[in-house]
Order: sequence, then C-alpha cells, then structure tokens
Amino acid sequence: MARLPIDEMRPVPPPASPIVEATLALLQQQVRRKFATHLAGGGEGFDDFVFGAPGCGLTRADVESVEAALLASGHRFAWSAATSLAERPDAYQGGADTGGAVIFKHPEAVTAPPDSEGRTLCGQGDNVVRHDADVIGTARYINTSARVLSFLTEGVPPGTIAIIDDSGGTLTAPIIEHFAGILCAGGTVRSHLGILSREYGIACFMNAKLSGIEDGDTVAMEASAYPRTTEDYQSGTERTGRVWRLRGAA
Amino acid sequence: MDDRNLTLHGLSIKRYAGPEAVAELVGLPLAVVEAQLAAAVASARAIEAAGGFTLTPLARVTLAARYEVEFADLRADAGFAAAYHGFERVNPELKQIITDWQTIELRGERCTNDHSDRSYDDKVIDRLSALHERFEPVIAALARGLPRLTRYACKLEAALDQAESGGSEWVSDIHRDSYHTVWFELHEELLRIMGTEREE
Repeated sequence: MARLPIDEMRPVPPPASPIVEATLALLQQQVRRKFATHLAGGGEGFDDFVFGAPGCGLTRADVESVEAALLASGHRFAWSAATSLAERPDAYQGGADTGGAVIFKHPEAVTAPPDSEGRTLCGQGDNVVRHDADVIGTARYINTSARVLSFLTEGVPPGTIAIIDDSGGTLTAPIIEHFAGILCAGGTVRSHLGILSREYGIACFMNAKLSGIEDGDTVAMEASAYPRTTEDYQSGTERTGRVWRLRGAA
Repeated sequence: MDDRNLTLHGLSIKRYAGPEAVAELVGLPLAVVEAQLAAAVASARAIEAAGGFTLTPLARVTLAARYEVEFADLRADAGFAAAYHGFERVNPELKQIITDWQTIELRGERCTNDHSDRSYDDKVIDRLSALHERFEPVIAALARGLPRLTRYACKLEAALDQAESGGSEWVSDIHRDSYHTVWFELHEELLRIMGTEREE
C-alpha cells in the first residue's frame, strides 16, 4: 500500500462533519491506489505523481465510486434544492426507501401456485435446527442501515420474519432476538447467523432461495422441517424447509 | 490507532454495545471510551439507542477506508498474514464444534441439544480444548503483530476454562464472552485488519 504524505500527518481534530470526513477518507483511498499504480509504473515519488496529472489523475468514475460507497453505506444526502430529491430520490433524505421495494428473485427458488389452503410456495432454505411448529410472520427485508437503526430505536415489530442476504454480522443484538424468524440468502447452517439463531431459539433458514415475497407479506416458514446436516452438505443432499406466502391471510 | 479511532473500531466490531464492552475489547480505560463515545454521538459518528451505542453509516465507511493505512504494516507482515490464514483454516472446524454443541443426533434426527447427555457434551468440549491447543500458536503469532490481540487469547482461555469446569454456557452463550462470542469478535477484528470479507 502506497502511503500519502497526509497519511503520516495527524488530522487533529478530525473534520467536524461526518460526510466531509467520509468523503475525504474515500477520496484519499482512491488517490492512494493511483499513487501505488504510479510507483509500480516506475514513478519516483509523490512529487512527480502529484504534479504529473491534474487532480492526481482522479476521474469522474473514481468520484462516482466514492458517491456509490457513501450511498451503499446507507447514507442519504441532505438536499438544498427540492429538484435534487425529485431527480434522485434514492440518493437524498426523504426520498424513496428502496429497502422495502427489493424483492429476492432466486432462479433456484422452488415455487408453486396457491394450494388448497391459499399458500403460495415462494422458495426454500436450509433449516438450522428443527422446531416443533412452523412459524408465521411478516416478511421484512433487512437491507438498509435505516431499517436496522429504526429497529434499534423503536423496536422490532412483533412477528417479524427478517429477510437478509448477509450471513455475517449485520444482524446483531439486541434486534436479532426479537425476530420471529430469519431467512438468510447466504451461508450454511454452521454460519455465525445460524449459530446465533440456534442460541436464541429463533427459526432460521440459511442459503434461502426465495422468489416473490414482498416486504410486508405474511409468510410461513416450515421450521419443523429436518435440518440440513454436515453429511447433507458433504453429499450434496438437498434437505430444505419451505417458505410460503399467505397473501390475504389474517 | 488513536483513542478516537480505536474506540470507533471497537464499536464497529461489537456493532452495538455500551462503553464497558468497548473498553474491554480494545483495552482503553473506561473513562476514555466514555468520553470518545460521547464525542462520537455529539458529532454524529455514533447513535445512542436503548442504552447502547452503534456507529452511523458514515462513521463505518470512514473507518473502513482508513483501515488500509492503520493496518498497512500488518497487511505487509508475512508472519501475521500466515497466522491470519491459520485462523481461517481453523474457523470452519470451530463452527462445526459449536454446531455440534448446539445440536445432537437422536434416533437418526438432528435436534436441539438439551445438554442432558453429559458424555456427549464432554466429548464436544474435549474437541474444543483440542482445537484451542492447536490454535494457541496462531493467536500468539497474531499477538506478536498486534499486542492488543492478546486480550482475545485471554478471553478465549477464560471461556474454555469455565466450560471445562462445567460452565456449559461459556461455550456459545450470546450474552457473555463465551468461546464463540470472543471467537466471532476476533474474526471480525481480523477481517478488518486484513481487509478481507467473510467467506460465508
């Protein structure tokens, strides 16, 4: 990693504004990469790098990737002209909450039209442990920081079945223990999230392949299905719990 | 790392925690962490909710972008990188042991372990002890690169001691520094140091 002169300076105090600090940190990261490329290409040092190309060679694409990283973190910009919000509702505070609009459409989700009980099969996942009964709840996609923060500050609505694509550490205490169920698109029954949900006694499917569940849908998890075992993973045996949408159900 | 970034880093590993837990994780005095967290809330780097703190999205992004500077020497240290890979090699086995601790095969079906079969539990804890023994040189090598990682070694050993002397909740309980809790936090720490992503 190529260090910039500014990396060796102590920024005391840090920028007052968190957006300034984050933008600077991301831009410096881009410049560090350019500098490393410059050195790898035979450049002598920072002086010939910084005077060699205007703006250290930063391109529009580089700056766009900085903005993309800021938005991916869950940050939304404050707007000063209402037209900003109208043009890019996904980038500004008060714009569309894209969190609820995201729908998993996994090509390997096993789906079926509504059965005699009005249940629409929407996919399946690897059950982390067998429960006595199936679980019914309200599907809520957990894919924005805003949603995690609102669960933290206002509590998790009762009966929430969390749908998430990250088996790592996004779901955390104290919100995880208030879920009725968890559908995780990644991982295996041995993943951290699988371990946590067993510890809390929460129904959880890992490696969930879902299609057609909208945020707010009433869904049922076949938590009474046999769990997928280590031997199943080794032999490639599919052993899954099913997920249904109960649209229109009480 | 200065006190500010170390506090934010500790909070990022914990994700949601009070000052005591952060101070214990990173090894800073409680008063320093309390002051840093208060400053972080005042400057919109952290949010206080329901008695705990969590980083704001921008603070997380800033921290992540700084890691390549903060941990540049460790990333370039072949001995440390080898020790990190040693951790990743052992990690699947640890997760299997914890899974086997939580579940048990009864009449051909894997179900929740109610811990009534003492000999089964003892065997799992024996496997955990054996894993820990093999892991000791790895964590020692990690701590040579970054001395504060010794804290994880001490906590892992303390959890194992408790589990071996009958404190079964010290294997994987979420509400304490159980073996799995500390292991997970060490993993989160190492992913940040090395700039890598969790495999599953």
